[in-house]
Parts: sequence; structure tokens; C-alpha cells
Amino acid sequence: MRTRFDEQLDQLHIELIKMGALCEEAITAALRSLFERDMSLIPVVLEKDGEIDRKEREIEALCMRLLLQQQPVARDLRTISSALKMISDMERIGDQAADIVEITENMHDKNFEIASSIHIHSMSKEAVKMVTNSVDSFVKRDLALAEEVIRYDDIVDDLFAKIREELIELMRQGGTEGEVYIDLLMIAKYLERIADHATNIAEWVEYSITGVHGKMDGGEA
Amino acid sequence: MTKRIFRAIFYVTLVILIAAMVIILAFIRDFNKNNYREQMKNEAEYIADGLSYGGISYLEGLPKDSNRITWIDEDGVVLYDSQADASTMENHKEREEVQEALATGRGESSRYSTTLAEKTENYALRLDDGTVLRISATTLTTLSIFLSMTQPMAVALVLALVLALFLASKTSKHITKPLEEVDLEHPEQALVYDELSPFLRRISAQNRQIQRQMREMQRRQREFRTITENMQEGILVLDTRGEVLSYNTGAMRLMGIDSITEKENIYTLNRSEGFRTCVEAALHGKHEEITMEQGGRSYQLLANPVMEENTVVGAVLVLFDNTEKAEREKLRREFTANVSHELKTPLTSISGFAEIIKNGMVRQEDVPRFAENIYQEAQRLISMVQDIIQLSRLDEGDSGMEKIPVDLAAVAQSAISRLRPLAEQKGISLQTDTEPAQIMGVPHVLEEIIYNLCDNAILYNREKGSVHLQVKKEGDQAVVIVSDTGIGIPYEEQERVFERFYRVSRSRSKEVEGTGLGLSIVKHGAMLHNASLSLESEPEKGTVIRLIFPAK
Repeated sequence: MRTRFDEQLDQLHIELIKMGALCEEAITAALRSLFERDMSLIPVVLEKDGEIDRKEREIEALCMRLLLQQQPVARDLRTISSALKMISDMERIGDQAADIVEITENMHDKNFEIASSIHIHSMSKEAVKMVTNSVDSFVKRDLALAEEVIRYDDIVDDLFAKIREELIELMRQGGTEGEVYIDLLMIAKYLERIADHATNIAEWVEYSITGVHGKMDGGEA
Repeated sequence: MTKRIFRAIFYVTLVILIAAMVIILAFIRDFNKNNYREQMKNEAEYIADGLSYGGISYLEGLPKDSNRITWIDEDGVVLYDSQADASTMENHKEREEVQEALATGRGESSRYSTTLAEKTENYALRLDDGTVLRISATTLTTLSIFLSMTQPMAVALVLALVLALFLASKTSKHITKPLEEVDLEHPEQALVYDELSPFLRRISAQNRQIQRQMREMQRRQREFRTITENMQEGILVLDTRGEVLSYNTGAMRLMGIDSITEKENIYTLNRSEGFRTCVEAALHGKHEEITMEQGGRSYQLLANPVMEENTVVGAVLVLFDNTEKAEREKLRREFTANVSHELKTPLTSISGFAEIIKNGMVRQEDVPRFAENIYQEAQRLISMVQDIIQLSRLDEGDSGMEKIPVDLAAVAQSAISRLRPLAEQKGISLQTDTEPAQIMGVPHVLEEIIYNLCDNAILYNREKGSVHLQVKKEGDQAVVIVSDTGIGIPYEEQERVFERFYRVSRSRSKEVEGTGLGLSIVKHGAMLHNASLSLESEPEKGTVIRLIFPAK
């Protein structure tokens, strides 16, 4: 016999999966709008960002109800408290996807070609993969995958540094698209932030499974 | 039940015990009273005798500590009292027992003391001289007898209760024991109370019925599993919360998952947008279908709500791989688009030339040149239509293509002899090196293959180039090799040259007439013969195409 509490916990799990899926979709659509110059995706991303915000409030309310009415302990308490932390990271990912499409909109009227020498393409792939994997690690309660995501953060950080170097080099060579370079740098920074949030999600997954949070004594990423 | 029986026995015992005690008590009281009265009567008569002989001095000689003796004259004046001074006592005339004795010769009465604990029994006797002798005895009342017996009675009661408890417990257990021992799996074998046998028979019948129904249900479930397990399509049954109630291996294969734990939520298996909206729609009572792309394959997902009396009780998802279908569809669309485009080009030319002639804008001497153009374009159309017919025949498969033993060398020679004029015209040298090689095949298709290969080799050659056709046996296999010294095929395009209407470097195709279907026919012809087709080419050096026919 399932208690109401178990049912609510299951519901929390499902809502988090949905929110995670929305994040994946928002970031994927934002990057497609950038690389494929598809402006029709901009309202889609903004719509998804709005939906992510609504989901955050919904899940927050659900967590509060669970905490107040059921007074969970041990593992259940960890699950709920990490859910509360996770949703703020997910919400930030949604916001950053919206920020990326805003830049994309600005870049639209400028005629430019994203030079294939810049690693922004591979960086966006890695960032999306991290988001997907962090959500996956939560869905499957997969500790190994969560740890992999946490390790992966360094790769994205290195890619950001590399892109920065590449853009500086392009400017030094007297590239005419200075504004575009700045925009690309911003996008790279957003991607780097998204990867950080994915790492945070993975850390909360790790915490909810093991009860140990990797960065409890360290600084924030 | 044991408890209830125990309680019933216990209470009954208790009630009987108390009732018995009360009755015994009443008897004791009655017996006591009668006994006492008799004694007092005897005593009175005895003292009366003594009094008639000894007078008052007899009374005074009696012991003082026995029953109280009072002597009263007929006027009620007390003459003697054994326990008080007679002169101070009041008149006893009105006393009940005295009145009675004066009237009838004897009288009795009893008076309770204020505490009710004691009772005074009086017995009065009228003597012969008219005086009255009264004996008073203080006795205990029933209540005080009862009170004095409380302790032994309590002891007896407790002992009896303990005994009753013990016996009640034993008896109730004894009664229920056979009931507990009834084996409900086989109730008909139980030997208990006759009163229970209708129930046991009923239980036994119901047991059999349940077993029958269980077997039937298991059989149906097996049937359902066998059917669904052997389906290529994936089936998932969900409840209203989206939890997986039932699934088949097809579903796991198509969704790319290794295991589904019991009651797993569908969103943990796939959370993609299309899938989510589809499942949500079904759980809200709407049919929905989408095509999903996953891992380079295309899946069709049908989501149907399961309704029961207008409420949704779950959903059934059916999933199937339609990659091939989607690809075929795409190929067909491309083919149609290509065919119309390729057919339109010569037709536009023909129509254009004809229009100019019709409008009389062409001088008489130029008409043959225009006619020649129209003729050429018409020829191109005809050859293209022929190629398309040939291709569609090959697409249809074996029908109308009977395989007979064929000598590849003879077929090759025949094709070469048809191509010689063209080769001479282009200044290309044709070399053949053939040895007899028997295979099972369709002669005109084989000739078409070799003709098309050599035709391409001649057309896409450099000036004064050469074409080399070789037919040989390699073990059981027959091999046809066509090599040329031509322009070659760019590496990135080598994979695509067998596609319909695909022509290498569009700019060149203007120079050389062609339909873009030749190699496609070669490919399909080779497939018809189960032959493997390989291509090696180097731009500006030449191309080698190798056809290997399997053993007969």
C-alpha cells in the first residue's frame, strides 16, 4: 500500500524530470537558433524559460508541502532538500538559454560566419551533454554518471579559456567583426555557467544518494 | 471465537456460583430461625414449670448470663427481670408478644436493634395464674450472618473463580480446536462439527472455482505475452500516473533501455518533448501520434487513452520503427522530383525550337538544324524513359526476369560490338580480355550492365584514352572488370554515383549526354544477380569497376 507521502515523492521526481527535460530543450533550441540562424526558435526558448520558471514555483510549493506536512527524515529529507537546490540551478539554466537567444537576436542582422576555428561549437555540444547527463543521473539515480558530470566541468572550463584566446587572436589580427566576437565571448561565458549549473545538479544528485556533498567545505563553483 | 466461548462459560459459572451461595444462605437463615424458636419454646416451658414450684426465688437462682427472662403479671407490671431492676421497668402490657400471650396463651415477636446487626427474638408464655413469662434472646440477623461469612465465602469464590477460569479456558480451546485444524485448502477432508459441513462444502466448491479462474487468467496472460513478445512493435501500458503496468521486449528494444523496474514512471524512460506531450495527451483522453527521431532512426509513436465509463484509466503506447519506410518515402519523393526535372529539360528545348519554327522566325535553310536539335532532345527523352522503365522493372524484382545459364563472355562481346562505333568516333581504344564464365542470369540485364559500364568508360574518358574490359573466373566466382583511363570520380562523390539521377560535377554533364541513370541500373542489375559491386577511382587517372558474381 502506497502512502500519500510516497505518492507525493514520486510526483516530485516526475516533476523534476519534466523540468530537467525543459532545460535540455531550452538550451538545445537556443544553440540551434545560434548556429542555424533560425529566428523562429527565439520565442520557443523564451516560452520554455517561462515554463521552467512556473515549474520551479510549482516544485518549490510541493517541496514545502512535503516538508511541513510529512516532516521527512534521513534520505527523504535529503531528496527534498536537494530537489529544492536543484530547481534553482535548473531555473538558472533556463534563464541563460533565454540570454543566449537574446544575443542571437542581436547578431541576426549582422552578416557574419562563425569561423570553424572557434571551439564554440564543441563547447556547446559539451555543455548540452552535461545538462543531459546531469538530468539523466538524477532520473536513473546514477551515481557514476553524476560523478562523470562533475569531472567533465573542467573540460568545459578549458574550452572557455581556449575560445577566449581564439577570439583575442582574431581581434589582434584585425578582424572586422569586433561586436560579434564580444557576443560570442558572452555566449561562451553563458555556456560555461550552464555547465557549472549542470555540475551543481550532479552534486545534488550525489548528495541525495550518498548524503555527502562534494563541495560542502569548498567554495562555490 | 475462543474468547467468546471462554467468556460465556466463565460468566455462566459465575452466575451459578453466586446464585448457589444466595440460596444456601437463605436456607441457613430459615433453619437457624426455626431452630432458635424451638429452643426458646422449650426453655420457656421448662422455666414455667420451675416457676410454678419455686416461685420467684427459682427465677433468681437461674444463671444471669443466659437468655433474658422477664416475668410480667396480667396487668403488664414487670415482676422480675433477669438483666434489669424490675421496679424501674415500664409497663409491658402493650408489648406485641405479651398481648398475644394474654390472648392466646403464647406469643412471639422479633425486634431489630437500631444497627440492624442484631435481632431480639421474644417468646411469651401465659402461665396458669395469668402472669406471662417472656424469654428474650438476642440473635444475629441474616445480614450479620452474611457479613460474618464474607471471608470464607470470598475465599471460596476466588477458588471457584480460578477453577472456572481454568476450566472455561480449557473447554473453549477444546471446542475451537477442530475448527482451527480445518485445512482450508482441502475443507472437504476436515472432520469437524456437522453443523459446519455446508460451509466447508461451499468453501471447497469456491476453491475449485477460484483455481479454475486463476488457470484461465494465467492462460490468457500467457497468450497475451506470447502475442506481444512476438511483435516487432513495442507496447507499453500505463496507468493514470504514467507508471508502466506492462510492456514487451519490443518496447525496450525500440526505446533503447535494458530494464524496466516495476511501476517505473514512463518519464524516466524517455523525457523528450514529443514523447511527453504524446503521453500527456493520451492520459487526458486524446489520441495522439508523433514521429520521433532517436539515434539516427525514426519511430512512430501512437498513444491511445484507455477509457472506462468516460474516465481515463490509463494509456496504451504503441511504438514502431519506421526508419525504412521513412527512407523509402524520401527516396520516392526525390525520385519523382528528379524525374520531372530531367524530363522537363529536353521537353522545354523541344517546345522552344518548335515554337520558333511555328512562328516562322527560322529561315528555310536552318530548319534541318532545328529539326536535328528536336530529334536529339527527343532521343534523349526516349532513352531516359527507357532507362526509367528498366529501373522500375528492376525495382519490381524477379517478375518477368527469368534467370537462365548465361556465358558472361558472350554477353560482354555483344555489348562491346554495339559500342565499337562510339569508341571509334571518340578515338578511344577498346581492349577486351574474356574467358568463358557461366552464371545464372537474365541476359538482357547483364548486357545492359556491361554496356552501361563500358559506355560510361568511353564517354568519360580523356582523348586517346583506352577502356579495358575483362571477364574471368576466380574460383567459383565470375568477375567482370571495366577499367578506363578517364577523368575519374572525385573521392567525395564516389559513394553517390550509383544514386538515381546523380551526375558527377554538373558542369561537365553538359558536355556529355547522359541520363544519370546508367550506374543506378548497374547497381540494381547487380543486386538482382546478388553480385557485389565495387568502385575504385582516382581523379584524372581513371576508374576501375569490379563486379563479382557469386558461384552458380
